[in-house]
Amino acid sequence: MFKSDRVAQILNLVTAGLLLVATAMVFFYAPTEVTMGAVQRVFYFHVAAAWVGLAAFMVTFVAGLVYLRTGKHLWDQIGHASVEIGLVFTVMGAASGSIWARPAWNTWWTWDPRLTTYTIMALIYVAYLMLRQGLDDPDRRARFAAIYGIVGFISVPITFFSIRIWRTIHPVVVGGSGDAAQGTFHMTSPMLQTMLFSVFTFSVVYVCLLVNRVRLEDLAERVEQLKVRMLSA
Amino acid sequence: MDTPDTFNYLLLGYAVLFGLPFLYLLSWWFRRRNLQRDLELLQTLNDEQKK
Repeated sequence: MFKSDRVAQILNLVTAGLLLVATAMVFFYAPTEVTMGAVQRVFYFHVAAAWVGLAAFMVTFVAGLVYLRTGKHLWDQIGHASVEIGLVFTVMGAASGSIWARPAWNTWWTWDPRLTTYTIMALIYVAYLMLRQGLDDPDRRARFAAIYGIVGFISVPITFFSIRIWRTIHPVVVGGSGDAAQGTFHMTSPMLQTMLFSVFTFSVVYVCLLVNRVRLEDLAERVEQLKVRMLSA
Repeated sequence: MDTPDTFNYLLLGYAVLFGLPFLYLLSWWFRRRNLQRDLELLQTLNDEQKK
């Protein structure tokens, strides 16, 4: 799957098509929400981006476990690629949420439990990338990264459940929001369909990026191996 | 109740949502280009070394 050019090309085309449909649904199919106006449309891709961020870190967790068990290098590549992609989606989620929050909460940012745990989680995975940069030996780097990816994953369920455990102004999409939540709205059927389709589309975008990122990692390793071989010759 | 005009926030939101992945993909493009250049150079040097 990761090595095949054909699979990557098909996946790229399917992803582009889904993204076009999802964008059209957000702007032309979902109705305008009455209390927040046009900015509510940010919600669809905000939820999808945040979901993919969390899912990507879960993939790193699983990849870490499988790597430690099998020692197969591909799982280290998947774990690394997944953190990088997950961070991009996490930043997208945070930035779009902040833009939505300005008219909905009257502030760009607040140290609410969800936003705080989300930030800590993002920093934990930034540190993952820094840790990898600091280790030269590939086997040691893969082992450390796998363990870090497993331990660091504890931040993901804490972030996910933070809005259900603590009193927060962040709305809950699945299940009811608490009393303190601000910016909640009644989700009509087209809104729900658009949200679910956006989440599905972003999940496919993630798989597509993962395949392409692992291929890029492969190229980087070929260059590195050639350098080592030439230096030792 | 009147619906507020939040269109500018919508534009800003989608500029970020499409802009960030665009920058990320651009970084891939640069990385791939540099790696391919390195690979070609290393292969040339490797061939010369063998001769």
